Amino acid sequence: MLSMKSISKVFKTDLVETHALRDFNLEVKEGEFVAVTGPSGSGKTTFLNIAGLLEGFTHGDYFLDGVNISNLSDNKSAAIRNEKIGFIFQGFNLIPDLNLAENIEVPLRYRGFNAKERKRRVQHALEQVGLAARMKHLPSQLSGGQQQRVAIARALAGEPRFLLADEPTGNLDSMMARQVMELLEDINKAGTTIIMVTHDPELARRAQRNIQIVDGQVCDFTMYQGGGYQGAEKPHLVAGAASGLDKSSDDSKQTQRVAS
Amino acid sequence: MFFYYLDLAWRSIKKTPLLSLLMVFAISIGISTTITTLNVYQLMSVNPAGERSDKLIAVQLWSQGKDAWKEFNAQVTYQDAFNLRKSDLPVRQTAMFVTGLAIQTEDADFSPLLETVRVTDSDFFGMFSVPFLYGGAWDKSVDTEAAYQVVINEEINKQLFSGENSVGKTLFLDSKPYQVVGVIKTWNPSPQYYDVTTGAFKDSTQLFIPFSLAPIEEFQSWGNNQSWKRESMDTYSDRLNSEMHWIQFWAEVTDDKQRDEYAQWLTRYVEQQQLLGRFDSPEAGAQLSNVAQWLDLNEVVPEDNKILVGLSALFLLVCLVNMLGLLLAKFLKRAPEVGVRRAIGASRNQIFAQHMVEVGLIGFCGGVLGLIWAWGSLSMLSARFDLEESLTHLDPSMWIIAPTIAICAALIAGIYPAWRICSTNPSVHLKSQ
Repeated sequence: MLSMKSISKVFKTDLVETHALRDFNLEVKEGEFVAVTGPSGSGKTTFLNIAGLLEGFTHGDYFLDGVNISNLSDNKSAAIRNEKIGFIFQGFNLIPDLNLAENIEVPLRYRGFNAKERKRRVQHALEQVGLAARMKHLPSQLSGGQQQRVAIARALAGEPRFLLADEPTGNLDSMMARQVMELLEDINKAGTTIIMVTHDPELARRAQRNIQIVDGQVCDFTMYQGGGYQGAEKPHLVAGAASGLDKSSDDSKQTQRVAS
Repeated sequence: MFFYYLDLAWRSIKKTPLLSLLMVFAISIGISTTITTLNVYQLMSVNPAGERSDKLIAVQLWSQGKDAWKEFNAQVTYQDAFNLRKSDLPVRQTAMFVTGLAIQTEDADFSPLLETVRVTDSDFFGMFSVPFLYGGAWDKSVDTEAAYQVVINEEINKQLFSGENSVGKTLFLDSKPYQVVGVIKTWNPSPQYYDVTTGAFKDSTQLFIPFSLAPIEEFQSWGNNQSWKRESMDTYSDRLNSEMHWIQFWAEVTDDKQRDEYAQWLTRYVEQQQLLGRFDSPEAGAQLSNVAQWLDLNEVVPEDNKILVGLSALFLLVCLVNMLGLLLAKFLKRAPEVGVRRAIGASRNQIFAQHMVEVGLIGFCGGVLGLIWAWGSLSMLSARFDLEESLTHLDPSMWIIAPTIAICAALIAGIYPAWRICSTNPSVHLKSQ
């Protein structure tokens, strides 16, 4: 479904050239729930932005549903984002002046749905996240967890093929985080592919597959336990290969190499 | 999507009322200045003759001597007017000047009125499309065989005859009885193109009497009288035979061919007069101007007005630059929201359109407010400087022109801020929110 081949992303200023991603390779199959971890500044968000067509890349090829989207126009990128991709952000990113229904309606308007269809989808999405009764509330009238559920509803309303979640529980307490995670798992079970960036090893373990990004590359490692790298071993960089934990094949905390 | 963008624009304006109000004020002040000057300019620039503009010809003769003014005068001498009236080439023609007479009626209680009166020929009414309420012009024969007849307008008719059909009734002008032959409807072409010498934006005269009465009644001219040489003016006859320019002369032709023929006839007339010792200047000749050329020739719209319109446009530009700065501040503050919209599927074009609709709405509000300012300033100008109403009323077309200019101007000012906001990288703002 998602295939990145030798992607690199370089940020240039007059003085510095920063390689956010280098020779980045990743395959994500349809229906997968992939957790992306890595230290701050490793390139997780850059990867997510490129995956979500929010940013371009310097070199490489990116295929989404078999289509090379490397050189798409802004209009086409926007249309793909609108139809195939849902975003969930750490800061929820709801529009404060719009009520819940209006927030969820935004991507549907850009897709050109009529009022009746928009209403149906908004209703359904809010029911999915358990907030149908509060559709006229403003985001500021909700708790953080509820706001994130609204953000998820907004992402779901367009019935995307995959969800990109950037630290979706980062601003939530543990109970709220668990609820949101359960919601994401349900969505994934319903067939939506999810790529989730997280710092929380607990959440990462609940994904089907973990990949770790270090220094802009997918990194293979042998031990990953909650709280960071254990032991003296430094992560071993495997250029040109996707790697991570495959929860479906091995539920233990041992890492396992996954062929790209 | 337009109505969605309009809804978003209205919410945005309500969300930042002070900033929005500042922008509306900025554009409204620019618009009011522009509209005020443009309104005056437009009212002055109207050609009231419309489709007949090319058929109505103002006649000028360079009859003055070598040491006189070096241009065609707007008026001709009485003797030339008298001679020109004999030509049968034009379809219609009229000589005219303005005098002042006291109006009286048979009613002893009626207080006399001093009114300006146009002394003219019967063709005047047909040539300048004067609309009649009752009756009509005096008979053509009166242009040669003088008769005491008068055409009045409906205002005078109301004062003198209570608005009834007064054709056949008598009024007194300087104690002489005149028979009313026609009552015209309110008629006040602006500019008063048929006589720019007495002020192009003054109200039209309310009474009209035959030109043929002038030598009999010895009417004094209340218009411009321009002499280029010292002449004895002891009697009215001296005046009529003098080289003083004081009569306006117009002719009506059917087409360019007839106009050329008339021009040739005038050339022959000048040659004939030269044989009589007149028209001794090397530049002597005749000049014909249609209404549009006539208005231009007489600078009915002064050059200053054009400069003023230009200056007010520059002022509008300054207001727009201010608005541009305010828009930039307002839009860039909204970058995080735009980032979200871009992430969930809005294209750059859609974001651009959304912001341009908002700018357009601000422009529209500024236009309407500017129009109200303009209306107020025109009223103030009218009251303060006692200007002619024809120059200070707000032309109805301005109710369309002002909002259109305001919207277009605002859209131009909004292009850069809207482009900036739709070009920002959404990912930067998504993380920072």
